[in-house]
Amino acid sequence: MFRQQAVEGRRQALASVKPGDSAEVRGLNGISPMLRRRLRDLGVAEGSVLTVLRLGPFGGPLTFECAGQHIGIRREEAGRMEVAPL
Amino acid sequence: MNQFALVGNPNTGKTSLFNTLTRSYETVGNWSGVTVEKRVGTLRGRGGRLIDLPGLYSLLPLTPDEGVAARFLMEETPSSILNIVDASQLERNLYLTIQLLECGRPMLIGLNMVDVARSRNIAVDAGALQRELGVPVVPIVARKGTGCAEVLHALGGLEASRSGGFRIDYGPAVEAGAARLAALLSSGGTASASDPRWTALQLLEGNEAVRASLPAAVRPAEVDSILEQTAEELESSGLESDIPSYLRRIRTERIAQICRSALDRSGQRLHTATERIDAIVTHRILGIPLFLALMFLIFKLTFDWLGSLLSDVLDGFISGSLSGAISTALTWLGASPFTHALVVDGIVGGVGGVLVFLPQICILFLLISFIEDSGYMARITLLMDRTMEAVGLSGKAFIPFIIGFGCNVPAIMAARTMEQRKDRLLTTMLVPLMSCSARLPVYALFAGVFFASNRALVVMGLYLLGMVLALALAKLFSRTLLKSEPSLFIVELPPYRMPQPLSLLRMTWEKVKGFLRKAGTIILAGSIIIWFLSNTGPGGVGVDMNESFLASIGGALAGLLKPIGFGTWQAGAALITGFMAKEVVVSTMNIIYQVPDMAGLEHQVAMAFTPLQAFSFIAFILLYIPCLATVGVIRKETASWRWTFFSMGYSLVLAYIVALIIYQGGRLVGLV
Ligand SMILES: Nc1nc2c(ncn2[C@@H]2O[C@H](COP(=O)(O)OP(=O)(O)OP(=O)(O)O)[C@@H](O)[C@H]2O)c(=O)[nH]1
Ligand SMILES: [Mg+2]
Repeated sequence: MFRQQAVEGRRQALASVKPGDSAEVRGLNGISPMLRRRLRDLGVAEGSVLTVLRLGPFGGPLTFECAGQHIGIRREEAGRMEVAPL
Repeated sequence: MNQFALVGNPNTGKTSLFNTLTRSYETVGNWSGVTVEKRVGTLRGRGGRLIDLPGLYSLLPLTPDEGVAARFLMEETPSSILNIVDASQLERNLYLTIQLLECGRPMLIGLNMVDVARSRNIAVDAGALQRELGVPVVPIVARKGTGCAEVLHALGGLEASRSGGFRIDYGPAVEAGAARLAALLSSGGTASASDPRWTALQLLEGNEAVRASLPAAVRPAEVDSILEQTAEELESSGLESDIPSYLRRIRTERIAQICRSALDRSGQRLHTATERIDAIVTHRILGIPLFLALMFLIFKLTFDWLGSLLSDVLDGFISGSLSGAISTALTWLGASPFTHALVVDGIVGGVGGVLVFLPQICILFLLISFIEDSGYMARITLLMDRTMEAVGLSGKAFIPFIIGFGCNVPAIMAARTMEQRKDRLLTTMLVPLMSCSARLPVYALFAGVFFASNRALVVMGLYLLGMVLALALAKLFSRTLLKSEPSLFIVELPPYRMPQPLSLLRMTWEKVKGFLRKAGTIILAGSIIIWFLSNTGPGGVGVDMNESFLASIGGALAGLLKPIGFGTWQAGAALITGFMAKEVVVSTMNIIYQVPDMAGLEHQVAMAFTPLQAFSFIAFILLYIPCLATVGVIRKETASWRWTFFSMGYSLVLAYIVALIIYQGGRLVGLV
């Protein structure tokens, strides 16, 4: 319980995680429903652990790794995904 | 007859297996959403039909291509299912597997990509999986053919077997709701082909397609009341209020439990090679220049270094030995001068004049197939998304654009894999601006005559012109016609794979066959018609060509075309016939100018056009109208005549404006 709160306290947006760092997904409610559906289809849900791989040029898409697969989404949407850094 | 449906997540190797099991050469590519339409084949050796379907993540389709697969499963109720599962992505793949198992149809699991799993040190125990799921599991490597014989063998015994009673207990609230729904369905009297519990679960999950296919006797209000009641019970038991996410959670838990006994990822390694390639290829500074360099390389190979060399050899053969041999044979057979002219000038001239470009087309298709099968395609969408977003499109629209360089028809169908309707519609409208291989003979002919020293540059300029106009129009249309939704972008980046030479050649051959078929049908028919029209007129048969029907048809347009630089009946005639297929423009020129070979045609064309007029003409050809086949597929995909006519109308206007700017602007600055 205590640990849970400690982690809750450090929530941040996926877009602000630096390449190479990992984070656990906390909330997907901010992103568009269709994108949420697709992320769920790909196995990205609350509790999944992501590693940010790289950022595209000129604010281009963010690429992350989740359970061995690489996925690219727009930085704007990544800004609405809540994660807790690990 | 036995009917087996290939079902699985996208990019898991369904089409690869389909090709091996049915000896077909359907397109295989390393990205999600290659197959967008069902394909039927006959199983090798043992008969029975195998149906290849687009990939889908779950039975609730989000995109039209997933819809094709989901609808097939519900409406055509194949007798058995061959579920392809990617061993290196087991957890995610099993979600669909569970939904399929709940259908209760005979099912076989092809555990594919075991080579990939092994190389990444992911251990999948097929035996344990088989015990957990209650259906046979066969490990395979679809692209090498390993295990395919076992699959064929296992399919034979499948019909008789009952599915092994896999069942998830969803807890009292949902189970009670499902039972009530199932009772309601069977009381409807019309026993549907699907398992009632499965139908009930799909209704609880909110599957609109299942709901729409319910028999009329089932009243929607009753279904709704059961759904509501179940949701309330679920909530009051303190679990969750949303049934679909509750079902997903229970299934995910079950998958985790299955994986505990069947999967060991403790020693898992990352895709190191893929990571290393991506570090360069999707590099934030190098990525886009590398992509442009690759494009340039493709044009150089197609037009300069390889293609035109081979093309000249082929031209020598067709216009020399072949034409001569046919001519001799006709004389020997005692053919009339009329037949002689029809065959040699009409058919050999018209069809042969296009066939000459076969080498260029082969090389282009080969290179596109290579990109498709390597995994680079998904990276292109990643690199281009920022630009595409700025004009209101998804980066994924670039996949149809690239396919469109080969042929616009499959490219428009590939738009199905995008989630947003607006992205799909915009892409469908804009793909015709991509220079397909049919426009290539026109470019090659004109660029060869007027811009020989920098042929590849001029042609690349045309490709870029189409692309830039597509982006500009995307911006315009998304601001005016299709304001509603923002675009959406999410892409899976599969590991890179080295394309296999044999399968590359086969896929290229399959596409080239399409070109040859076109040469034997539309282009042949077009050549014969043009020959007749150009040799007959109000004055009878064998008139001077300037007095022919073709001259009067083409001449009707001449006045209109004068301001854009080619107000001759010849150009007008070529444009009208080019609507059938753009290659026919070259056939028409060949027949009109009645020349024995490419060199002769080039000479005639050089007489008829100035370089500026020629450039205006090829730019007009690039843009002026989608070909007949493309119009057909636009109509089919948009299901709307309005959008179909719009696509033809806007391209005509656009072509005219662009050609006008090129010609009049060019004259202003003193070009000729
Ligand atoms: N290493 C390896 N690669 C495979 C195997 N099977 C297929 N592939 C490759 O995986 C990619 C996808 O194959 P496809 O057959 O097009 O997959 P699909 O399931 O039909 O894909 P969609 O039509 O997009 O749903 C291609 O690049 C294949 O060459 C396999 O067993 N091992
Ligand atoms: Mg496929």
